[in-house]
Amino acid sequence: MSVEVRNITKRFGKFVALDNVSLRVNSGELVALLGPSGSGKTTLLRIIAGLEFPDPGSAQVLFYNEDVTNLPASQRKAGFAFQHYALFRHMTVFENVAFGLRVRPRDKRPAEPEIRSRVAKLLQLVQLEPLAQRFPSQLSGGQRQRVALARALAVEPKVLLLDEPFGALDAQVRKELRRWLRRLHDEIHVTTLFVTHDQEEALEVADRVAIMREGRIEQMGTPEEIYEHPASPFILNFLGNVNLFQGRIHEGRVVIGGAEFQATNHVGESNSGAVAYVRPHDIRLTRERTGQSSLAARILRVNAAGPVVQVELERLDDHSQFGVQLSKEFSRQLNPQAGEQVFVELQNLRVFAEDYSI
Amino acid sequence: MSAFTFKEQNPLPGFRLTLGFAVLYLGLIVLVPLSAAFLKTATMTWPAFWSAVASPRVLASYRISFGAALLAAAINAVFGLLVAWVLVRYRFPFKKLVDAMVDLPFALPTAVAGIALAAIYSKNGWIGRWLEPLGIKAAFSELGILIALTFISLPFVVRTVQPVLEDLESELEEAAVSLGASRWQAFRRVLLPPLYPPLLTGFALAFARALGEYGSVVFIAGNMPMRTEITPLLIITKLEQYDYQGATAIAVVMLTASFALLLVINLLQKWSQQRTRG
Repeated sequence: MSVEVRNITKRFGKFVALDNVSLRVNSGELVALLGPSGSGKTTLLRIIAGLEFPDPGSAQVLFYNEDVTNLPASQRKAGFAFQHYALFRHMTVFENVAFGLRVRPRDKRPAEPEIRSRVAKLLQLVQLEPLAQRFPSQLSGGQRQRVALARALAVEPKVLLLDEPFGALDAQVRKELRRWLRRLHDEIHVTTLFVTHDQEEALEVADRVAIMREGRIEQMGTPEEIYEHPASPFILNFLGNVNLFQGRIHEGRVVIGGAEFQATNHVGESNSGAVAYVRPHDIRLTRERTGQSSLAARILRVNAAGPVVQVELERLDDHSQFGVQLSKEFSRQLNPQAGEQVFVELQNLRVFAEDYSI
Repeated sequence: MSAFTFKEQNPLPGFRLTLGFAVLYLGLIVLVPLSAAFLKTATMTWPAFWSAVASPRVLASYRISFGAALLAAAINAVFGLLVAWVLVRYRFPFKKLVDAMVDLPFALPTAVAGIALAAIYSKNGWIGRWLEPLGIKAAFSELGILIALTFISLPFVVRTVQPVLEDLESELEEAAVSLGASRWQAFRRVLLPPLYPPLLTGFALAFARALGEYGSVVFIAGNMPMRTEITPLLIITKLEQYDYQGATAIAVVMLTASFALLLVINLLQKWSQQRTRG
């Protein structure tokens, strides 16, 4: 039981928006399509909705084992919410939500009292009941997106497709709304696929995340899997700040400067150039050298504003720069000062062969 | 006093100056000539006025003038919307050229338009010769008047609807379709309602323009009393007979009627705008 696409390719002229993409969203799952702009995530969503058609070939779109590849959007029952809401501005909130029910053919259209009670229930679900008679122009951005969601849910969609649903909102409202979306999903369990370019949003809200890059799905997994075991430097970089250290792979270990480290992922025995990626919070600062696995560096800047302390450093050997995050508590003990020399210990190194560029 | 003093410090400076100029301008250009017509008419006695404005020949001309102008505006509301739709929604070769052609009826001297239309639609004309066997007499008939009025009032609806249509995102249509609406339902329920206000504006402008049209109509109408004689022609005829009072009397009736009609259309527009606020 799932919503599935197989072998989807889509070209716009010479630009390949999607390159043989397959994706499966299990029934009741909330999946995020994450990627930078131009990675093809919106195009994939539109193809699932039937607003765009894949290049002819072996492409298939399946809703619960039913092939809908050639069905027009109006017959797919895929609820779609747009980044800019696309509310009907000449209709009240109530009429916007009722639209999907009112346009049904007469024999399938619910009676007026039923339409009223269903719309009222949906408005209650999105917490907008008191605003039923307002027009979209009288609502805030967050309220508009909730109306758009209720409108999409009114047709009892087989899958809910959200295109950057919080993209046009400011940071505060965004955070509130995505938590609300998660709670809503836990309540109604509609199969949902949502597109975002915000990794924090994807990791926080989704059951599983598919990361897209240049028309392909680069990795798919639970937020934890993806964060802990990123499949490529691109994903590492995309999921948050990361430091790069040039080194060599030697007998399964990584040699950086004069120090040797154990890599978290499997690197093999090959004696070749490599790049180690280390997250800022996986670097420890010490005043004394602690054996084989530490590098000497000089502190450039310390910024203590915020929940963690950010320290910028420069290696003494090759003068490359990197950043470290310290907890407030640890920083208070160590009391790092700009200009002083310290030693750094790298942990959780992810090593990729050198030609693998971001 | 207090009704004329606005906030002490208006954030938009120059209110008095601009309002003063606007009133002076409207007064000189619109109000003074029009009130002259009313003043001239006021010198008539009631029976004289009545016989001037309500003789059978004049009444027949009202019918044809108002009827043809309303019909021409209605035709343009439908087909002007279609032209605007095509110009906004599709890309095709020579689109800019087609777009520019819409304004031609504005630029062409109306007499030229009238002569050209008369030539084309007359018995031996390019189009008229095909209509004649079908029993349709296009030139020198009521239909000829309608053709001329439709021609000269074409740009109004296109130009008022076009910008509003450009503002309607295609996402609205997509949203409607993904909710299960057919193409027709999407058009009828989602795209058309926001277009009512500009359609009404275009309709009103086209109607006003068609009602006052003289130059092109006289060449194609045939100007038969009681049948194809438009009111502006009657006014000119009276002027040529030095019946200034009679001419202004008819003008006053026409003015009052068209003002009332335009007022109704404006109210309709306001009402539809309130319904489609956004």
